[in-house]
Amino acid sequence: MLRFILRRVLSGLMTLWLAATLAFVALRLAPSDAITLQLTLSGATESQIAARRAALGLELLLGAQYLNMLSGLLRGDLGVSLVNGRAVAALIGEQLTATLSLALGALIVSTLAGVGLGIGAALGNRLVRWLAQALIALLLATPIYWLGTLAIYVFAVWLGLLPSVSRGNSLQALILPCGVLGIALSGGIAQVTAAALREAKNAPYVQVAHAKGLPMRLIVWRHMLRAQGSALISLIGLQGGFLIGGAVITEALFTRRGIGQLLLNAVNGRDYPVVQGVVLLSALAYSLLGAAADILAAWRDPRLRSR
Amino acid sequence: MPRIFLRTAVFLSCGAILFFICASGILLSSLLTRPTSAARPAAARIVYGLTLLPSGFDPHINASAELGIPLRSVYDTLVYRDPVTKEFVPGLAERWEISPDSMVYTFYLRRDVRFHDGEPFNALAVAANLDRITAPETRSQKAVFMLGSFERYVVLDEYTIQLVLKTPFAPLLDSLSQVYLGIASPKALREYGTDLYQLHQVGTGPYRMVEFIPGDYILLRRNPDYRWGPAFYRTDNPAPVEEIEFRFFTDPATRAPALESGAADIMGELAPLDALALARRDDIALLPQPIPGMPLQFMFNTRNAPTDRLEVRRAIITATDRTAIIDSVFQQLSPVAYGPLTAVTPFYEPQVKQYYPHNREVARQTLIELGYRDNDGDKVLDLNGAPLRLIVIVPTWGYAPQVAQHLQSQWREQGIDAELRQVPNLAGLLAAVQSGDYHLVAFNDFGADPSLLNNFYLSDARNNFMRVSNANLDQWLRQAVQTSDPAARQNFYRGVQGLIMDQALILPIRDYVNLNAHGKRVSGLTFDAYGWFPLLANLTFNGDD
Repeated sequence: MLRFILRRVLSGLMTLWLAATLAFVALRLAPSDAITLQLTLSGATESQIAARRAALGLELLLGAQYLNMLSGLLRGDLGVSLVNGRAVAALIGEQLTATLSLALGALIVSTLAGVGLGIGAALGNRLVRWLAQALIALLLATPIYWLGTLAIYVFAVWLGLLPSVSRGNSLQALILPCGVLGIALSGGIAQVTAAALREAKNAPYVQVAHAKGLPMRLIVWRHMLRAQGSALISLIGLQGGFLIGGAVITEALFTRRGIGQLLLNAVNGRDYPVVQGVVLLSALAYSLLGAAADILAAWRDPRLRSR
Repeated sequence: MPRIFLRTAVFLSCGAILFFICASGILLSSLLTRPTSAARPAAARIVYGLTLLPSGFDPHINASAELGIPLRSVYDTLVYRDPVTKEFVPGLAERWEISPDSMVYTFYLRRDVRFHDGEPFNALAVAANLDRITAPETRSQKAVFMLGSFERYVVLDEYTIQLVLKTPFAPLLDSLSQVYLGIASPKALREYGTDLYQLHQVGTGPYRMVEFIPGDYILLRRNPDYRWGPAFYRTDNPAPVEEIEFRFFTDPATRAPALESGAADIMGELAPLDALALARRDDIALLPQPIPGMPLQFMFNTRNAPTDRLEVRRAIITATDRTAIIDSVFQQLSPVAYGPLTAVTPFYEPQVKQYYPHNREVARQTLIELGYRDNDGDKVLDLNGAPLRLIVIVPTWGYAPQVAQHLQSQWREQGIDAELRQVPNLAGLLAAVQSGDYHLVAFNDFGADPSLLNNFYLSDARNNFMRVSNANLDQWLRQAVQTSDPAARQNFYRGVQGLIMDQALILPIRDYVNLNAHGKRVSGLTFDAYGWFPLLANLTFNGDD
């Protein structure tokens, strides 16, 4: 088990390095840079712009810039924003809790809704199966943006039940965004759950359980979901990546602060250090979530450790 | 299938789907114990919707116009522009003198002004602000360039300061009247440094910054000691707003619902269709606000064939039905633009209206006279085998895509083929322009002083997207910046605007209008001379229903 964990940590570190390098390359391939963008309408002359770029190390050779970035990262220094001069770590830190609470809430909603729907689609009676399958198809096809706009109109404008806008991290303010993001992600989980359960439905161990006279509730919970649990846990872990993407849209729709908005602004403004920091953080979250899911799955199912 | 299983499955699936709705049910009970609706802001506090989320909020450092919406009322400036006459009026300086050679500006400061932190306002405070703005390590993105040829200041006494220029710079007063040169408390500047000051801003204005959570909200509270406002700040406001919370509605689709649900009291940059729908409600008032500066326009690349020919450019403008575009895209809420400056900009020249009235027949004749024929029957005119095809760079913002689609279909009927190339942001636009492979590019900019034209029309301007090089244009634009005599400036800018249109360098579309709306909890919403920035001190709080 220890070796397994060690291997996961090492591959996680590889992922981080790859993410940092890819972000570095992609940003430098994108046209223009932060300083040119900031100053192009200011009336600054070409030489003033060049001087400022040089002062920030943007005129160095790409290799030197890359080494600077890596050595900063190794020292745990994410650098400062090229737009507002603040430390990237501080910029991310002040947005992190907002995004984490959104992501966590959405993960809970999507897991509950997804697994429930999946059970309905695989094992319900004909009506339930049909309804659940239609709903899954609908969820998979519905863009999060549309779902969010609809939810705002229904819950905030028509019913006036929930705020579409609220300061801070109050529970009320979280319900709509977490609900929307979670429901939007639940389609995928439901589909995998349903497929897994359909496969297990006729498996010998289920038939044995039936023959023993166990109630269906126990068969589903104790036997079927447990046997298929590893795949589910991995899938839910993988949702981390989609969560970040979905968070960008959800945050804009519900005027929430968070990493998504920070990233969007930084990309448009070519604020390299901020983009770099957010990409690293997402890669870290992704690896951690993935590793946690794998370790959990391996702990539940020793066969997975040798893979 | 055993019954119990079915019950479980049905229960689970329904329960999961309804989780969302159940959650609101739980909320309902918590609402019952609260006196005010969840969607409504607390009493005596209003919510003002911002529409961009700038990465930086320090007016000395950052350039976004959005930051001025709250901060215009946190700071005072040495001078102000009257919102109606656009004349300069006293601010923190009760009067000023300009030397005959226009190189020395002497400001006589008010003696009764205090910063929000209790520090006194004086010439040394102004000096500290100028020091900060011009320091290289501040990396000012706008303010330092607004100072133009500023060389140094001289503090004559506690309440008199001189600004000395290297060369005459007529836009200086305009610059000094803007929030980017707002005067901040020297103590706060020292205490927080360049990186953190933006979170703890201290000025002398009618509102204090109480709290700023980046990306979340900015909270301003009324400054009860404020007695030194410019003449156009109301002193008889029966119920000024005590607290104003600014929130960020970056997605246009969220703005109208926020007003409708009461989550916001004031909102800008509404989509034209949303604005019309809101205007029909009796609890919401629509307030379109024209913005001085450059209109939404398509700039011609005068170096690439076929738009290198003056007659072709004229024919394209004549072929364009701008009124139809205004009607359809902007729901008649914006005026048609006729020249390089919008009609509310100082030194605007109304004569530009005479240029190139829409006339399809004239446009057709012009092109025929130039030798354009549809020889191959593909409904696109051609000349010497080359089709009349235009590449148009279209930014995704400012309704440029919708406008460009109208242009494309209007021109198609004239035998002009247009290829629209969308760019997602300023970086993409600059890259596309740099490639040189285009005939038109949509762009606009804002400002109350026409010197903003210099960034675009001087032959060596950074943003000379037209690739124009005209000796008269260069000379007039430069001279207009060097004389502070308004009559002389008027003359130069009359010439500039006439020449730009005579040479058909741009296809103007619409004067920019910011579509604001507000609910009935507030009244008295007005904006300053730059159009973007509300006079928060003049807002009246009408209370809740």
